Amino acid sequence: MSLRRLTNRVCSRSIGARVLRLSVAAAWLLLTLPWFTICAAGQGPKASESEVEAVYVFKFSQFVNWPAQTAASSSLDICVLGDDPIAPFLDKTVHGENVNGRSVLSRHIVRVQDAQGCSILYISRSEASRLPQVLAAVKAWPLLTVSEIPDFVDKGGMIEFVLQSGRVRFEVNLAPASRAGLTFSSELLKVAVLVKGNEQQGSR
Amino acid sequence: MRSFFVSKLLLGQIIATLVFIAPTQGLSQAPNPQASANSSSQAGDEQLKSLSLEQLGNIEVTTVSKEPEALWKTPAAIFVITQQDIQRSGVTTIPEALRLAPGVEVARISGDQWAIGIRGFGSRLSRSVLVLIDGRIVYSPLTAGVYWEVQDYILEDIDRIEVIRGPGGTIWGPNAVNGVINIITKSSKNTQGGLASAGAGNIEQGFGEVRYGGSYGQKLTYRIYGKAFARAPEFHPSNISPYDAWQGGQAGFRLDWTGGSRDSYTLSGDGYYQSFGESVGTSSYNPPANYTLNGQAPLSGGNILWHWQRKLSEQKDFQLNAYYDQTSRHELNFGDVRNTVNVDGQYRFPLPRQEITTGLGLYASHGDEEQIFTGLEFRPPQRTDQIYSAFLQDEIAVVPNRLSLFAGSKFLKTNYTGLLLEPSVRLLYTPTATQTWWAAFTQAVRTPADVERDFYLASLVGFSPTGLPFFARFNANTNFQSERLNGYEAGYRRLLGQKFYLDLAAFYNQYRNLLSEDITGPISLETDPAPPHLLLPAEFGNGLKATSSGGEVAGEYRPTDFWRLRAWYSFLELHVEKAPGSLDIGSAPQIQGSSPQNEVLLQTGFDLPRSITADFDARFVGTLGAIKIPSYWTGDVILGYNLTKQVRLTVVGQDLFQPRHYEFVYDPDGPVGIERSLFGKLTFRWE
Repeated sequence: MSLRRLTNRVCSRSIGARVLRLSVAAAWLLLTLPWFTICAAGQGPKASESEVEAVYVFKFSQFVNWPAQTAASSSLDICVLGDDPIAPFLDKTVHGENVNGRSVLSRHIVRVQDAQGCSILYISRSEASRLPQVLAAVKAWPLLTVSEIPDFVDKGGMIEFVLQSGRVRFEVNLAPASRAGLTFSSELLKVAVLVKGNEQQGSR
Repeated sequence: MRSFFVSKLLLGQIIATLVFIAPTQGLSQAPNPQASANSSSQAGDEQLKSLSLEQLGNIEVTTVSKEPEALWKTPAAIFVITQQDIQRSGVTTIPEALRLAPGVEVARISGDQWAIGIRGFGSRLSRSVLVLIDGRIVYSPLTAGVYWEVQDYILEDIDRIEVIRGPGGTIWGPNAVNGVINIITKSSKNTQGGLASAGAGNIEQGFGEVRYGGSYGQKLTYRIYGKAFARAPEFHPSNISPYDAWQGGQAGFRLDWTGGSRDSYTLSGDGYYQSFGESVGTSSYNPPANYTLNGQAPLSGGNILWHWQRKLSEQKDFQLNAYYDQTSRHELNFGDVRNTVNVDGQYRFPLPRQEITTGLGLYASHGDEEQIFTGLEFRPPQRTDQIYSAFLQDEIAVVPNRLSLFAGSKFLKTNYTGLLLEPSVRLLYTPTATQTWWAAFTQAVRTPADVERDFYLASLVGFSPTGLPFFARFNANTNFQSERLNGYEAGYRRLLGQKFYLDLAAFYNQYRNLLSEDITGPISLETDPAPPHLLLPAEFGNGLKATSSGGEVAGEYRPTDFWRLRAWYSFLELHVEKAPGSLDIGSAPQIQGSSPQNEVLLQTGFDLPRSITADFDARFVGTLGAIKIPSYWTGDVILGYNLTKQVRLTVVGQDLFQPRHYEFVYDPDGPVGIERSLFGKLTFRWE
């Protein structure tokens, strides 16, 4: 009897019918586990960091105002520069979504020049050593820069993800955003754990 | 951050064992006709999307390893014990957390003492290992070792423990010969809100801790904490009183603030008091006798530390540390009251294709030794130990992003030595994004301690036929030299796919001038101190040498995102022998046979729904032949469950395989049986 049929037999008695997806190599090891582990396996306990960040990036599109000419384009492109586990989650999150009449698309780019038509640019950690060049290349374009790279907002980035007590939060730097012609809704700024670059705070 | 190599690791949350959470659809290998399975992961997604920004910020996430690059770029045998590892292992003390790292010997001597070593030479005093807590050196220049029982913190607020096996290379501080242990606590920015926990069990009689973290404005965050514990003695045969009961408490604070965009500051302090149960030996001349003293010794201490870091650019930064540390140990056979101050600075800057790191440190520790028995004495009873250290390291990108050469040296001078050089050269080769090779040669030095240069320890051997007492005594050796190491190491790291990680390290060490126990002369009559007695003179010499070789293999495999498997194996071949012309009485076999040849750790952990976690750990430690401790397997089970959103219940069973087992012998009364233990703990968190 294959492992899958066996688990179906056991698990269909319990909440819902879930199928355990396992690679063959791991299957024989799991036979020694108590059944509740196998049945419950499909659920997973918490969200992953990348999953939450992908949803944040999608939501930022609803709380940021782009300058008129960008806002008129037919699609709102969210681009991921470099290698990052956020990419597949972002694809799933934006699939079929619309914001203000524009369809939301996600793209993976390798060269910073390809970011020209993007509305949001997520910069992967893999680009950390090239960050100054990346930010310099995009600073003239009306796009929102987001990243996890430490001290991103201090280096000219607009939104930086930070981990606080196991939760994903973000910091905002308004200065580069206003130079790019972007404005943030006050609802976004209220939730940010740190907002830099507004007039009262003075220089960076 | 003292460590040069690991300063690169400070970016984000670096963990040695890499964890990649595969997106849920990626796991499916076989065709999956059940549509509900896909929709369940989409349902989870829909749930997240429907949350407000504020609610998203309250979701607890499982952290993924980032920046494998930074770990790849460390040319040393490094293992990082993460906060998650500490939590999921159920340990209640820092020494027990060290068991999670390969190559580290952690033998529990009794309820409150451990014999710890890295790649051999494990002992109660843990000599030749540099231990730092947030950049504060916690070794004692009295013994050139670490008193592990007073190194404590709220374990949930430890960010990570970095364990480097092998000589630290140009990481400064004394004693970085066999390894470096760097305990780093979380910034107060990451410990916001409240945490309170309490628990009890059969051996852990009761423990509790409270921490609260808050902030003032955007730039300053803080935390304050307190903890207390009481631990029952372990197993002793019925004729020995159970002396190793242990109680203590510690409290402290931490402040972190930023000034402008370039400066960050930390101010922290801790204070502790313990009633420490011990069994120690000593002797007196009048009356001529040996004593074994069992009882509680008061230990206390405190420290205050200030840290400043300024980032001048991406590759240029500067940091300054200053701290004051006070410890009082009123043991049953002697007392040590110590005041230490330390100031050190480090500067890192780039040159074409290179990165230079340099630093300077001044350390002074004043000790007052209290004599209780005439058979144990420090002469002079007060001494200020000073350590002047500097280091210079150059990292050269021979082939950018592929091959790097690290060359540098530590410069050390203490009040006991002249200028010592500890050079190191390392190579790092990264042929692809998923594998790294590294190799290193280092010369390291363990400088003399007060216990070799100032210490007189006598023991009554017996009585002569005419009734004269006959003592043997270790006399202070004012010529004790530094112990030296030539260390050759190499290693390899590999990521296979996204789920499997392998880390290999091998080493060959040559030691000379190791501490020996030398008979320095014939038995003669001594009249002072009275009454007249026969004396066999001895001293701690530098008459041993040793070679050690071995390696560690560590791997982690994540078949699914809720199941993790980890294992490591350590092998050590240690040969200690008398150097030619040595007067050693034969202590080499004792040292050689006090380290296990083989050690294994197996771990498996599950993340189940409704926040249930289950972890099963098993470990094996080989025979310690010289002290007649047999090899053993033992294991722990750690179960966790959220009773409510804010309250978590953890149940931990430790050392479960036997009712009791033995790990080391140190106390004069013989080995102490480490008992099977069970405890439960409730943790309450609030914002």
